[in-house]
Amino acid sequence: MSAVRATFGRELRAYFLSPLAWVVLFFFLLVNGGVFAVIISYLSDPQYGGGRPFDVLFNSFPFWLLLLFWVPVITMRLVAEERKSGSIEVLMTAPVSEGQVVAGKYLAALVFYAFLWAPTLVYAALVDHWSDLDWGTLAAGYLGVVLIGGLFLAMGVFASALARHQIVAAVIALALELAVFFTGLVSALVQNPAAREVLDHVSVIDHMNEFSRGVVDTRRLVFYLTATLLFLFAASRTLEDRKWR
Amino acid sequence: MIEAHDLSRTYGGFTAVDGVSFSVEEGEIVGILGPNGAGKTTTIRMITGFLPPTGGRVTVAGRDLLREPRRARREIGYLPENVALYPEMRVREYLAYRGRLEGLSRGDVKGAVAEAVESALLAPVADQVIGTLSKGYRQRVGLAAAILHHPRVLVLDEPTVGLDPRQIIAIRELIRDLGGRRTLLLSTHILPEVELLCDRVLIIDEGRIVAQGTPAELARASRGRRRLRVALKERPEDAEGALAALPGIAEVRETTGLDDGGSRFLLELEEEAAPGDGDPREAVFHAAVEAGWTLVELAEEATSLEDVFVRLTTRDAAAEAGEEARPGPATPATPDAADAFDTAEPGEEPS
Repeated sequence: MSAVRATFGRELRAYFLSPLAWVVLFFFLLVNGGVFAVIISYLSDPQYGGGRPFDVLFNSFPFWLLLLFWVPVITMRLVAEERKSGSIEVLMTAPVSEGQVVAGKYLAALVFYAFLWAPTLVYAALVDHWSDLDWGTLAAGYLGVVLIGGLFLAMGVFASALARHQIVAAVIALALELAVFFTGLVSALVQNPAAREVLDHVSVIDHMNEFSRGVVDTRRLVFYLTATLLFLFAASRTLEDRKWR
Repeated sequence: MIEAHDLSRTYGGFTAVDGVSFSVEEGEIVGILGPNGAGKTTTIRMITGFLPPTGGRVTVAGRDLLREPRRARREIGYLPENVALYPEMRVREYLAYRGRLEGLSRGDVKGAVAEAVESALLAPVADQVIGTLSKGYRQRVGLAAAILHHPRVLVLDEPTVGLDPRQIIAIRELIRDLGGRRTLLLSTHILPEVELLCDRVLIIDEGRIVAQGTPAELARASRGRRRLRVALKERPEDAEGALAALPGIAEVRETTGLDDGGSRFLLELEEEAAPGDGDPREAVFHAAVEAGWTLVELAEEATSLEDVFVRLTTRDAAAEAGEEARPGPATPATPDAADAFDTAEPGEEPS
């Protein structure tokens, strides 16, 4: 456990000490803030008859753009950088397991990801002040943000374990995310009802839609948790396997 | 303390280490010596558990590195060849992180860090960001991290490479201090380092151990022809012939030296001096006096570990002699290799 904590602490510190993290945070907030302002002005126009701003935000195109493109940037350096610089040698000759290292790094990425989203709670407070907000629905929406982001982060950690270069890691992570993203989109085009049902189970857009409306389906929870663990397991095996090359 | 049995490692089709066996006793300082690419780092990585061997096995302090990897690794402090630190961390933070990785409790870490900072003489930079440190200091941070958890075995891969002479001396002193209390395995291609620090030496070439023993044993085993170094103030044309004609001299080679108008020679002496030949040095002296040369240098070259090393790891010489595995009758090293080592400064990579 102390090994997980040590890796976690170091990675988290590294996030906040690297300029990249602040650049990521800056643009994340810039885009989110801009989009949210547009949503609010749109919804407060009497012509359109109102709606729930977070519902719109979580289903918007910029939301997916941020998620798909920013997550690989968060995770790309985690393992790839250690391999490139050679510090992996010290890490893997310490009495720690690959699983502990992966867990520590993943948790740090998850906390940093949550930190990116945290300031958006200010929007929630503002909405609550000027109008009323169903905090339960909002919590479900944020749960979706964490679960889907958590899966993408796990894919990113796996990609980073696979690649030696950070950019390659980011590209692999993006490809994995897009594969899942488009698999869900494809379901609308499939005729076979059985295949369609299977595809619906991995449709991240539909899932986010459910979460943002306040629907928490246990099947979704199970899907995201197992898929996340699967990719983390794959990352730890990749780390182990690399020794044999 | 360290037992390596028939260790092998292949990368794809390339065999980097081929059936290496050796053992290191508790408290011993053993040096692994070899030219670049001989398999030193691969051997060391197998001992520290970074690379699993493709054949054979390693135990450290009685723990098999494949069966009980974490217990075995706990006994080892490791300074890799390329000391990769995290540039954004402060020295003290980094050491604390390494201590936590080694499984020290939060309470123990503080004391261990303070102790390591002190013994690696890091106090002046302990609160500095690692990215701003000189290479020498970084190397010391690596060493401090390796000794942090009081390992019984310390493995150092080329600890002085890339440092300036003053830093090299400081690191060597540090290593010698550490050696007294621990089992130490040290890889290097710098010969004086081995002679200075090690109780025993393993010479590795092309993935095999080609010789092992104490530095003195190895030098003795290879002692064959003695050599005299002669320098004259002027450059007489007939000097080479005249020297070769002296009793007890087998071969004369002119060597290049400083371009000071003088000349230098290396004289190989006969393996067994004929009775009545007397001391060849005297013969050289008298010959110089008769011919009117000014003798500015006359010395016998001691057979050092360098000769052993060059002879064992120089492919051409070994092939000519038709023996690769054991120190046997000495064969002269190729002039190129000998010269390369004559001029090699510590810290420089011999070509």
